[in-house]
Amino acid sequence: MSATTSGTLDAKKSPMWSSGHGHDVISTKTLGFWLYLLGDAMMFTALFAAYAVLGHAFNAAGGPWIRTVAHAGVAFRETAWLFASVLAYGFAMMALKKGNRGGVLLWITAALLIALGFLAVDGHEVMALFRMGAVPERSGFLSAFFTLVLYHGLHVVVGIAWMLVMLVQVASAGLTEKVVYRLLNLRLFWHFQAVMWVFMFTFLYLRGAIV
Amino acid sequence: MTHGTDNAWEHPEVQLAGGGYVAAFVVGLALMGLSFWMVRGHMFAPAGLAIAISAVAAVAALVQCVLLLHMNVSRTQVWQTVALVLFIPLFVLTIGLTSWMFHGLYRRTMMMPAAHAGAPATQAQAGGA
Repeated sequence: MSATTSGTLDAKKSPMWSSGHGHDVISTKTLGFWLYLLGDAMMFTALFAAYAVLGHAFNAAGGPWIRTVAHAGVAFRETAWLFASVLAYGFAMMALKKGNRGGVLLWITAALLIALGFLAVDGHEVMALFRMGAVPERSGFLSAFFTLVLYHGLHVVVGIAWMLVMLVQVASAGLTEKVVYRLLNLRLFWHFQAVMWVFMFTFLYLRGAIV
Repeated sequence: MTHGTDNAWEHPEVQLAGGGYVAAFVVGLALMGLSFWMVRGHMFAPAGLAIAISAVAAVAALVQCVLLLHMNVSRTQVWQTVALVLFIPLFVLTIGLTSWMFHGLYRRTMMMPAAHAGAPATQAQAGGA
């Protein structure tokens, strides 16, 4: 931010675009990824708005409505799984802080396994709903409900895939600058899922009790 | 950090990691448990419950933004925080205005269930919840 340029500005030589000398690659990349995540949050916002609109009883078109499909108890179990996975990734970051490569590998593996636990509960729940005839195409309400559930589930799948990639990169390349900024971006991505889940749990799964 | 060739993990953004993660886990789970408990026990009328669990969600999200996402005004984090603060009105307005528009539409097109359609005043009050 304090960088000054004299004469004409060459995009390739200006601090934002070059790497190495005098500019902070890691900070630039994490800020960029954070802005992307806020864009992703805007996508969640649109889906929450659609769910708020389509959550009315008549949008269930006589089919299963919120009290039948949103199970708060199951969702609370999912909360525990997801928050635990987020905590495990936090421990990986604390190992990274000390340059402890083995600790990073151990805790990312833990975060990954716990995230699989979340997916198992989530998948089991969705399959049970499908079997009882609550499928996305049944009504406008169910379309909005499952779009939100599956969009969130997709984030968890992407996070797990990304963790697998990072395990390979940390093991093979070590804690280089590229690996570190990717670990930081994954931290932002994964910890952001915890924040999104707060809204999922409250406005998707607990909504059944307040409508 | 101007020396990218040194230990990359000594970067200030890595060094932000800390014991706040345990607190974020405990507080986050406790607050979600509180909402779950309020809903399970029907502690308030539906409108009151809606306000209560929304407030708990706002607190939980704030705690996580500070403890997990390290939102603060330090030199490394200030722009992340500014972007998030500017995002919040977009989040609230998009959901709030969309709900408001469709709530009006549903009332005017009489799509509400018959029991409610006959009582517009009650509907207007429920819309505030």
